[in-house]
Amino acid sequence: MSWAVIARQDWTLTVGERSTKYLLGLLGFVVVVTAYVYPIGGPGPHTTGRFGGVVHGSLTTLVPIVGVLLGYNAVVSERESGALRLSLSLPHSRADVVFGKFLGRTAVVAVALVASLAVAGFLVVYPFGELEPLRYLAFVVFAVWFAGIWTGIGIAASIAAATKRRALVLALFVFFVFVMLWDTVDSGVTLLLDFAGLIDGELPGPLQFYFGLEPGRVFGRLTDGFVDPSATVEGAWYLGEWVALVLFALWLVVPLGLAYRRFARGELA
Amino acid sequence: MTAIEATEVSKRYGTVVALDRVDLTVPEGEIFGFLGPNGAGKSTFINVLLDFVSPSDGSVEIFGHDCHAEGVTARERIGVLPEGYSVFERRTGRQHIEYAIESKDADDDPAKILDRVGLDPADAEREASDYSKGMAQRLVLGMALVGEPDLLLLDEPTTGLDPNGAAEMRDIIREENERGATVFFSSHILEQVEAVCDRVGILQDGELVAVDTIEGLRESLGGGTKLVITVDNMENGTLEAVRGIRGVETAVEREESTLEVTCTNDAKMDILVELHDAGVDVVNFRTEEASLEDMFIEYTGTDR
Repeated sequence: MSWAVIARQDWTLTVGERSTKYLLGLLGFVVVVTAYVYPIGGPGPHTTGRFGGVVHGSLTTLVPIVGVLLGYNAVVSERESGALRLSLSLPHSRADVVFGKFLGRTAVVAVALVASLAVAGFLVVYPFGELEPLRYLAFVVFAVWFAGIWTGIGIAASIAAATKRRALVLALFVFFVFVMLWDTVDSGVTLLLDFAGLIDGELPGPLQFYFGLEPGRVFGRLTDGFVDPSATVEGAWYLGEWVALVLFALWLVVPLGLAYRRFARGELA
Repeated sequence: MTAIEATEVSKRYGTVVALDRVDLTVPEGEIFGFLGPNGAGKSTFINVLLDFVSPSDGSVEIFGHDCHAEGVTARERIGVLPEGYSVFERRTGRQHIEYAIESKDADDDPAKILDRVGLDPADAEREASDYSKGMAQRLVLGMALVGEPDLLLLDEPTTGLDPNGAAEMRDIIREENERGATVFFSSHILEQVEAVCDRVGILQDGELVAVDTIEGLRESLGGGTKLVITVDNMENGTLEAVRGIRGVETAVEREESTLEVTCTNDAKMDILVELHDAGVDVVNFRTEEASLEDMFIEYTGTDR
């Protein structure tokens, strides 16, 4: 249980950091305020499932930035300073360090998410809303999972890069491409193909699948498919929520796995 | 059982050879001093032991476990003071020791360990990132002592320590060895190696040029006699002439008009005769036993 020791130490260190408190405070604040406003804002019925469909919009922007900012310095800062040498002089493997850090930091975001979504659920249900326990539970699980994916991407940057600055650039680059640029590129391509008369307002299935690979969209399809009763997932089978579930699992494993392979072979001199 | 077994270990960085076919066996229970000038490859060798760096060729085992393939198992029985480390941010000294205890699954009392390495309770509750280099060195030595390791691996352990601290470090090394631990430590400071080591290995440009006991090294240096000769003036070619005498190991000009010659006992007279024949007047001369430092210079060809 070597990774558990690392995870525990990392949890304590991460929680103690002021920037963590600000980031998680912001996340919690947005979730709770959305929940507070939600019953006032739109027409009913107000349910926790529908709320999932609403709050997932802000989560797809906020969770990625929180995740990469928490993750990017997890390993590289200790590597730069030399503290990593102390950990790896002890009977820990590099995999233990990476997995421990991943668990420690994901746990920090997870606790903040679960706590704020619990408060949010209460605000939605009380006084006139309806609780859909299974759907809401699924949403919380997806949200935590999504946080794990982005923390994992941050940590992947942290172990792939040799310096803290490069890790930050790499992590922010991925964030920027997926969260800020992706939709624009999607619309651009759609518009272009539409203008050229190749399509009629909608991208062909394979291209939709390609653009749908982005973690936030996968999260969206899962929310639409499993959580929000007012939404449906349309299109070919490979655009469905079950395929999204598989993609979600891949997002958790692949970036970290690829970066780890590099890290495991690399030299720490 | 051997504590460390290195077989033909080489490490190349492009065209630079950091380690050149190093063969080394350190038996259990020994204090082994790993000596060499800075940049000779000492740290590279220790980095290979710790799997921070993988060798280009060859392999290293600790207690029969390959350092790369079974790194974690290999490190379970060792205590390490690596070079180029830094302590963890925002963790007290005590928390560092506790981290080592948890990591090694040991049941040491942090207070005892801290006391042993000379950190008082007030220091132990301070954040280790505020420590001086010497205190950090004591702390990490403490982490190394956790769990009564069978092998202590110390890379330049006295760096940052004052003479007092260095003496305490030597005491701890001796105590650990009496308990039964093998100690492997690197240093470029010769007195320390001389003071505690059963055997030393001298590394030069990545090559292990000598492995022997201190006495053995002395013997291999022609009985270890050193002549310090003061002459009135040095003539060109005198040094070469002295070097040509049978039994002379080295001859160097120390200062203006002072020669240092290491040689066998019988060669002493020949040297004085040779100088006389060359027209050099000997003002004064004395003999000394060769120190480890002379051997070191002899072997590595460098002044530190």
